[in-house]
Amino acid sequence: MPERSGSAIEVENASKVLDGVRVLDRVSFTAEPGRVTAFLGPNGAGKSTTLRAILGIDHLDSGRAVIGGRPFREHPQPLQVAGALLSPDAAHPARSTRGHLRILAASNGLSRTAVDRALELVGLRDLADLPAGQMSLGMKQRLGLATALIGDPAVVILDEPHNGLDTAAIRWLRGVLRSLADAGRTVLVSSHLMAEVELIADDVVVIDEGRIIAADTLERFLGISGSLEDRYLGELSSR
Amino acid sequence: MSRFTDAVAAELVKVRTVRGLVVGAVLATLALPLTSLLVVTSGGLGEQDTLTSGAATGTVVGLLAFGAWGASVAGSEYVHRTITVSLAAVPHRPTLLLAKLAAAGAIAAVGGAAAALLSVLLVHSAAPPHTHHLGNPWSLVGIVLAFVAVTVVGVAVGVLVRSSTASIAVVAAAVLLPKAAAGLLGGLQPWVVGASPGTVVTQLVHGGQLADDQTFPGGTALALLSMLAVATAVGSVSALAFGRRDG
Repeated sequence: MPERSGSAIEVENASKVLDGVRVLDRVSFTAEPGRVTAFLGPNGAGKSTTLRAILGIDHLDSGRAVIGGRPFREHPQPLQVAGALLSPDAAHPARSTRGHLRILAASNGLSRTAVDRALELVGLRDLADLPAGQMSLGMKQRLGLATALIGDPAVVILDEPHNGLDTAAIRWLRGVLRSLADAGRTVLVSSHLMAEVELIADDVVVIDEGRIIAADTLERFLGISGSLEDRYLGELSSR
Repeated sequence: MSRFTDAVAAELVKVRTVRGLVVGAVLATLALPLTSLLVVTSGGLGEQDTLTSGAATGTVVGLLAFGAWGASVAGSEYVHRTITVSLAAVPHRPTLLLAKLAAAGAIAAVGGAAAALLSVLLVHSAAPPHTHHLGNPWSLVGIVLAFVAVTVVGVAVGVLVRSSTASIAVVAAAVLLPKAAAGLLGGLQPWVVGASPGTVVTQLVHGGQLADDQTFPGGTALALLSMLAVATAVGSVSALAFGRRDG
């Protein structure tokens, strides 16, 4: 993985109400370059909404979410600033893997080499002409990862990338995430696989019912607890 | 290349990489000439008709086809949830929407021009020799503009309602209802019906042969401008909604 100076993700007092429910309540945290930040929380806690707000896909009612000090939409070359995997199903079922990536390349003025590089990186080169609708969930996750990495971005945001991956693919993803962070990139990843997160995370942010309930280094968060799973569940049940 | 031209290029790749959208564009292009040919070969070309007016007889079918195609282009982004990927790649929303409208409009312009030309050629080959004049070929430009306008409206409505099926229904209603419900419009009838795309084309092709209550009061040129203004207004409303709503 080539070296890349990262940009921090900063979320400050982010709040949002959806259909009368406060889904984000003054959410604040920072994900630093060169580190893997795990974003944890139960289903419906506000993880995906936060990640979408960072990318400007969802709007905040108040507060701010910026990458490298600026809202994502203000960056002239967005895919070189941040790449994201938000949903493995976000590909047209009739469009090939290569076609999906060519759209992204064209949208940011990237060369076709970037498409081939991304396909190679996620191991989909031999399946480049396969329509997304014929892919397994694991393959779709790989395509989502290629989507995130095609611009060789300084920031990588992944929403539950482990879903649908087999054991070998989870190990492979672990290596990819570690190498991204070691090369100076900012990696923000949400997951429910605590054992996996414990292996890859440098920092941990926990959200529940739209509020940040913990944000620390993994080491400090674990403290004397036996495992991340115990510590995480303990944190949730203490509320 | 600029951010906008990159975004337009991406929108064109989106269409090119889904067979259904390519086939849809081809079918929309063929709708006008094939319908016109059908009308002419079944004896629908009157003595007063010109080759141009004969070529325009399938305009409403062409309008429906291009409008439905435009609605599908935008609606499928929501149906297949690719809009999140699009927004993550082009987060500046006005750029993304304008690119979408421009790409679909450009394809409709090329398809519309090909449709109009093919329609005249087919009608010419099907009509008895030396019986019909060419007519006013410039009115074919009006057909192309009407196809572009209805395609833009289709894309804009697709973005507004976020569904292919619903947006196709809305566009079909926008094309067909003004004339079908003309009697309910009262004094507004000539303004609404006269500026609807099907009637605008008829005014361009047939000149002053339409009834007063279907002729736009300001004349054909103003009717054409009004149709384009309505398309622009619908596009602006969709831009407003697209900018404010979550993706």
